[in-house]
Amino acid sequence: MKQSGRKRNIWAAALGIPLLLAAAYPLQRRIDARVRTVQQEKDELMLRSGRVLKKLSLGYDSLLADIYWTRAVQYYGGKRRDHDPNFELLAPLLDLTTTLDPHLLVAYKFGAIFLAEPPPKGAGRPDLAVNLIRRAIMNNPENWRLWADLGFIYYWDMKDYKKAAEAYMEGSRRPGARDWMKVMAAKIAEEGGSRQTSRFLWDQVYRSTEDPNIRKNAFEHLQSLKAEEDAERLEEFAARFRRRFGRFPASARELVEAGILPGVPLDPAGYSYVLTPDGKAHLNPSSPVTSDVLKPVLPH
Amino acid sequence: MTWVVALNTFREAVRDRVLYNLIFFALLMIAAAVLVGQISIGIEHLVIVNLGLTAISIFGLVMAIFIGVGLVYKEIDKRTLYALLARPLRRRQFLVGKYAGLLLTLAVNTALMTLGLAVALFYVSRTFVRSDLSILVAVYFILLKLALVTALALLFSCFSTPMLSTVFTLGLYLAGTFSTDIRSFGEVTESPALGAVTKFLYYLLPNFNNFNAIAAAAYGRQIPLILVAQNTAYAAIYITLVLLAAAAIFSNRDLK
Repeated sequence: MKQSGRKRNIWAAALGIPLLLAAAYPLQRRIDARVRTVQQEKDELMLRSGRVLKKLSLGYDSLLADIYWTRAVQYYGGKRRDHDPNFELLAPLLDLTTTLDPHLLVAYKFGAIFLAEPPPKGAGRPDLAVNLIRRAIMNNPENWRLWADLGFIYYWDMKDYKKAAEAYMEGSRRPGARDWMKVMAAKIAEEGGSRQTSRFLWDQVYRSTEDPNIRKNAFEHLQSLKAEEDAERLEEFAARFRRRFGRFPASARELVEAGILPGVPLDPAGYSYVLTPDGKAHLNPSSPVTSDVLKPVLPH
Repeated sequence: MTWVVALNTFREAVRDRVLYNLIFFALLMIAAAVLVGQISIGIEHLVIVNLGLTAISIFGLVMAIFIGVGLVYKEIDKRTLYALLARPLRRRQFLVGKYAGLLLTLAVNTALMTLGLAVALFYVSRTFVRSDLSILVAVYFILLKLALVTALALLFSCFSTPMLSTVFTLGLYLAGTFSTDIRSFGEVTESPALGAVTKFLYYLLPNFNNFNAIAAAAYGRQIPLILVAQNTAYAAIYITLVLLAAAAIFSNRDLK
């Protein structure tokens, strides 16, 4: 082949390929925007039987379990990213994963959290989370931590304190169980859903977990509990102010000026609470602290 | 001269009984049409479209890859290439001719399978409806995908053995099919560095997910014409890009 022809081909490729790639980029972006309406993927799981899948895996069931677990995580992550409250495939995916590998503890543990968390953070199905953890216990009877997970779901998500206490007590009898399991069982049996018990529970989660996501979640709940407790006390001080002055204070600073409080109380993130004219304490909208009980309100 | 190479490639494929796969396709469609009605309720149309389009896609892919990877290699191995290049034929013309020949084979094969699908569909539904037109669009998208896969197979066959070329083509096809998942993976991990890498890969890899309209066709969802145009442009750009690379490599290859 002639030298000039070779050179021409190389030049054509060297110039053409980057140019064409640059042209493909905006085109792909346009296709992305349009293709969603066509593909509108309905969540589907062709094979829902873990036992059939196990047979079809030809002995690679453990690897397949890892793949299904990854798919479950991606599914959950995708739903949360898209703010889609429909988690209908989560339970079947977890079921498939744990049937393929009944000892994949991480799938039970995290899967139960994904299922139990109320929407939009999770599927809001603590009943399914309980089923999952019960299966985990059946397949891994020596693991005392699974009882703690079960007790936690009963306590926090289902408010079934009797069953929660029983779960913690049952777990405390397993080999290697920590002492706080018995303390937890006793506390729940005695106090039910008190804030102190909740704080103790979340504190245990915070201390015992190695996963940064779970630790962050526990930390947020601890912050939220602290804020709720602060708000309750602040409302008591506001009521005292009203008894003295015949009206509620306009802000926490007024409580300080009246000598009822030594200083302006701050939430765990360092933001001052907002007092509304009816004497109720709320979170500052700028604060990163979240709570199901305290709603953020702009200072008036 | 390019068309002579193309027609010869087509004739060779027909001589090699490549189109025998149509018999399997016909049997598959007949079996599905007869059986589905007896073992299921209300999904005959859905199953026939899903199965038919999937079979068209898989049969086409197998042909595109396994014939594509041998296109250049076979000519060099049998030393027939030397006789061809002794004529007034440039190497890039030879490549384009080979590519067009296989594309013609795939187009004929796909058209005949589509005909078989239409017959099976008519057998179960006893009628055609307007929304069935999206099946033709899905077939066209499959053809675009096959054209891109053929270009990739041809590229690898310019510098590698058929076995390795098969692995490379299949690997790139799978990566391109899962490119959306690769990008989502980066987004879910919330790591900016990983996100940037996966995003780059997403736009660099040929995106075969663009051509997936089987489910839309099965449910009779309308596919916008603008998407047809965009996908055509995307395939044309990528095919040109791959063929440019193939021509650059092949023209520099020492054939002695």
